Amino acid sequence: MLASEENELLTRTDAGTPAGNYFRRFWLPVLLPSEVPTPDCPPVRVRLMGEDLIAFRDTNGQVGLLDEACPHRRASLFWGRNEECGLRCVYHGWKFDVNGTCVDMANEPAEYRFENKVRTAAYPTREYGGLIWAYLGPPEHQPELPKLEWARVPDSHRYISKRWQETNYLQAIEGGIDSSHSNFLHASLDAFRVTDSYIEKVKNSNNLRAKYHVMDRAPWFTVKKTDYGLIIAVRRKAEEDNYYWRLTQFLLPSHTIIPYQKGLSIHGHCWVPRDDHGCWVWTVSWNPDAPLSGEDWEMIRDETFVHAKVDPATFKPVRNKENQYMIDREQQRTANMTGIHGFASQDQAIQESMGPIVDRTRERLGTSDTAIIAMRRLLLQDIKGLLESREPFTARHGDVYWVRSASLLLRRDVEFDEGARELMKAEV
Amino acid sequence: MERNGGNGVSPEEVNPAHIVNVTDFSANTLRNIIAHIEVSTEFEHLVYREAELDAVWSITGFVLVNERDSGRREAVRRLHAGVHTAHDLVAASRTVDAAALLRSLL
Repeated sequence: MLASEENELLTRTDAGTPAGNYFRRFWLPVLLPSEVPTPDCPPVRVRLMGEDLIAFRDTNGQVGLLDEACPHRRASLFWGRNEECGLRCVYHGWKFDVNGTCVDMANEPAEYRFENKVRTAAYPTREYGGLIWAYLGPPEHQPELPKLEWARVPDSHRYISKRWQETNYLQAIEGGIDSSHSNFLHASLDAFRVTDSYIEKVKNSNNLRAKYHVMDRAPWFTVKKTDYGLIIAVRRKAEEDNYYWRLTQFLLPSHTIIPYQKGLSIHGHCWVPRDDHGCWVWTVSWNPDAPLSGEDWEMIRDETFVHAKVDPATFKPVRNKENQYMIDREQQRTANMTGIHGFASQDQAIQESMGPIVDRTRERLGTSDTAIIAMRRLLLQDIKGLLESREPFTARHGDVYWVRSASLLLRRDVEFDEGARELMKAEV
Repeated sequence: MERNGGNGVSPEEVNPAHIVNVTDFSANTLRNIIAHIEVSTEFEHLVYREAELDAVWSITGFVLVNERDSGRREAVRRLHAGVHTAHDLVAASRTVDAAALLRSLL
């Protein structure tokens, strides 16, 4: 369980809140380049941690991220004209560059102009790894970009999607690191019932997850604290002399790398608070060694795994609360646990069903929730540390993000961190 | 990464990197958890202790919903509340205080 005060501390991320200040110490993904595709294209609204902002790409190709409200009379810059290296408010013609500097006050007589004294809030941005990132924290604490392997592979080796989930970010992370739910939420009925036909289908599979996941539905969890966050190690019984290990990486403040089997593609997420009741789910699939395969693209197109189709204007998923995630009850009766298509939609449905912010004072946790407990404690430590003026180590050391996850068999006498050490090293 | 049994454990078997097997809130289970709390120092150890106390709190909570005998219900309610406090003490790395509190509940 979590005390009410700690739940509040973790879940509130508006400006000035402890968790809000903490998240603002990191570069965070905020836009797909396709949202501001060309110089002088229309500006777009961006809501981040309770702040309403406007993004635009100026004539030189730089991306600005400004407070939505013009500092003159609070008109929305969404209606602004993106022209000649700035965004001009259409109410009275004030114009701002990507740094938030007012470069023109068109409505004021020349002798009364004071544009050199006017600024609007503006956050620095970077284009990195196929995304546009922003830093919303104090300039003097601007951190390093995280050296995530997926951000360093060629574009052809990577696919990124963005969707809006109507929950607080924290329960989304908890879903991402809780390996045991996949035996149920994401299972076919054959897998759940461990039917003979399912065993026959997977017993010779090269995919370790397919083969071993169903064999042991009460896995052992253990965690290891690292410079960047946590390794969440989940052990399942395999053959008599082996264990099957799935090692998830959790990287502060809110990235994960799903366990990766050498030779297959890798997947991960980053959850960025939109506000206290919503988050942006960034999902990445990548292959460090080759362009994404036909099978990878099929999984993306068919939404069978971690990506989901969204409305391109709002990033709201096509399968959503209003249409009950397009649940097929007949399919639930006969084929899979949920009747909802795709892991992403299944996760979203169940997490949104918990309410916009989970009341963690009413939980009944067990030892299989160790990973969730560890993640919360780690975040709380860092958030409380910042309250005591201890800057988060991870933000200032981008190189610590250069890791991979792992999915592997190990002899039963081998510790996971030793046995997977080489596999967990990033290479790109 | 083995689990320790819930029916008492000898000092040699106390390993803070192991998760205590919690299936009840018996005195033996609580003594086992206490023994592990007393030697827990690292972040991971405290997380495991917190998880164990979460499990005890969950089980006592379920019992409270169904227990009809008022005397037993009061005893379980005391334990339920005490474990909640011990859990928060472990989360705050106050292992000595947590162990003392749990011992007082035996």
